[in-house]
Amino acid sequence: MNNTFNLHRFTLLLKRQWLEFGKIFLITLLVATGVIVAFYGLTLLPLEELGYVSRRLGFREPLFFIFGFLFISIIASSYFAHLGQKSKAIIDLLIPASTFEKFLAGFFFTSILSVLAFILIFIITDWAFIAYIKSYFKTGNVKELADVEMFFNKNDINSFAPLYLAPFTVTSVFLLGSAYFNRFHYIKTAICVMLFSGAWTYIVMNSVEAILSNKTPINRYSHGKDTMEWVLFAIIALFTLVVFSITYVRLKEKEV
Amino acid sequence: MIKIENLNFSYSKQRILFKDISMQLSNGHIYGLLGKNGAGKSTLLKNLAGLVYAQSGKIDVFGFDPAKRQPAMLQQICFIPEEFHLPAIKIDSYVKANAAFYPHFDHQYFADLLKEFDIPVGQKLIDMSYGQKKKVIIAFGLATNAKLVIMDEPTNGLDIPSKAQFRKIMASALTEDKCIIISTHQVRDLDNLIDTVIMLDENKIALKATVEEVTEKLCFKRVKELDETVIYAEPSLAGYNAVMANYHQEDSKLDMELLFNAVLTEKNKLKPIFN
Repeated sequence: MNNTFNLHRFTLLLKRQWLEFGKIFLITLLVATGVIVAFYGLTLLPLEELGYVSRRLGFREPLFFIFGFLFISIIASSYFAHLGQKSKAIIDLLIPASTFEKFLAGFFFTSILSVLAFILIFIITDWAFIAYIKSYFKTGNVKELADVEMFFNKNDINSFAPLYLAPFTVTSVFLLGSAYFNRFHYIKTAICVMLFSGAWTYIVMNSVEAILSNKTPINRYSHGKDTMEWVLFAIIALFTLVVFSITYVRLKEKEV
Repeated sequence: MIKIENLNFSYSKQRILFKDISMQLSNGHIYGLLGKNGAGKSTLLKNLAGLVYAQSGKIDVFGFDPAKRQPAMLQQICFIPEEFHLPAIKIDSYVKANAAFYPHFDHQYFADLLKEFDIPVGQKLIDMSYGQKKKVIIAFGLATNAKLVIMDEPTNGLDIPSKAQFRKIMASALTEDKCIIISTHQVRDLDNLIDTVIMLDENKIALKATVEEVTEKLCFKRVKELDETVIYAEPSLAGYNAVMANYHQEDSKLDMELLFNAVLTEKNKLKPIFN
C-alpha cells in the first residue's frame, strides 16, 4: 500500500471533506453571490441613461479584486480551522489517508475550487446584468457597454505575470493560518500578513533607496516583459511554495 | 502487538506526564487503563494513536510508528474519543463517507450494533443525544474491524441499560487478533469486561497485571477487624472491605475500585507482591 498518495483514497477523501466543508463552502458562495448581486443592483438600478450606466461599471474592478480576495481568504482560513478543536480534530486526523492527501484536498478546495467558483459567480452575475441592461436600452449604442469579456481584456492578467500567482499566494497564507492557529484564524492571519507586509515593504523601500539613489535609470521605456517581472514572479512563486510546504509540515505535526 | 519503550512525555517542562514508561500489549486482550484525573490516561492513548508526539522513547503499533500517521496503520486503529463531533448528516451518509477508508468494514455488523443499541437509523446525527452519538461512533468503530480499539471514557454519557449493552458488545467484539484498550475513571463500568488492568500514577505505570494475576496475589474480602495481613481497607457497613495478600490461594472477586485505591495509597506494600 502506498502510504503517501493513492488516487482512490484521495477521491474518497475529497468526497468525505465535501460533506463537511462543502456546506461552509456553499454557504459562503451563496453569501458572495448575494453580495455581488447587491453591488450590481444597488449601483446600476434603476436604469437611467446608458452613458451613466457605462461609467458606473467602474465599480467592477474593486469588487472583483477586493471581494475576490476576501472570498478566497475566508474559504482558505476555514479549511483546517476545525483542527483547533479537539472534538473535531481527533476524528479527522485519524481518517486513514496520508497527510499529503489531506493537504492536497485542502489545496484543491481552497486554491482551485474557491478561485474558480468566485470567477464563475462573478462572470454569471455580470453577464446577467449586462444582458439585462442591453435588452433595456435596445435603441441606444449598447456596444460601448463593456461586457465581462471586455472587463477581463481590460484587466489583462498577461500584462503582469505575477498576478497569476496571486490567488495561490493568498490561499497559501490563509490555509497556513487555518492550520497554525487554534482560534481566531482569520484575524490572527490577517494581523500576521499586515505585520509581514509592513516589514517587507520597509525593507524593500530602504534597500531600493540605498541601492538606487543617485543612479541613472536605463531602459526606462521598455514595454516588454522585463527581467524584473520574472524575478518578481519567481520570488512570489517561491514564497507561495514555501508557505504551502510549511502548511504541510504543520499539518503533519499537528497534535491534539 | 504494541510496544512502548522508555516513553517520556510532557506538555510542558513543569508538567511531566510519563517518565521512561515501557510496556507491551498483546492481541486478544481487553486492557483497562485506570488512573486519577490528570494521570495521563488520555495522553497515553493519544500517543498510541499518533495524536501527540513523545519527547523521547519508542512506540511500535503493529510494526508502525504511530507518529507517522500512515494510512496502513490508521486503517488498523479505531479511536473512540471522549469528546467528539459528528457532522449534521444521517448515519447512512456518514457511513458512505467514512467506511470506504476501512477495508474490513462490516456493514452488517454495523447495522446489528445499531439495532442492539436501539439507534434510530433515519435520524440526523446532530439531532441525537450525546449518548446516542456515542453509541453510533462505538458501533462504527467496532464495525471497522480495526485491530487496535482505543476507547477513552466510552461509558460517559451512556445510560444504565446502555452500559450493560456496551459491556456485552465489547466482550463479544474481542477476537484473537484484536487489542482493546479502555480508559475510564468509572471503574465499575469495566467489571467483568477487562482481563488486564493498567494503572497510571506519578508518571509511571503503577500496576500492570491480568485480573487472574491480581486475584492470585491479592484477596478481596470483607473483614470485621484489621490485622497486619491487610494491605488496604475501606470501612463498610459490616466492617471493612479489605485487600490482603493472598497467602492461602483463596478465591475472590476483583474489586476494581478497591484495587485502584489500594494502588494509589499503598503502592510500596503492593510493589513487592507484583514484582
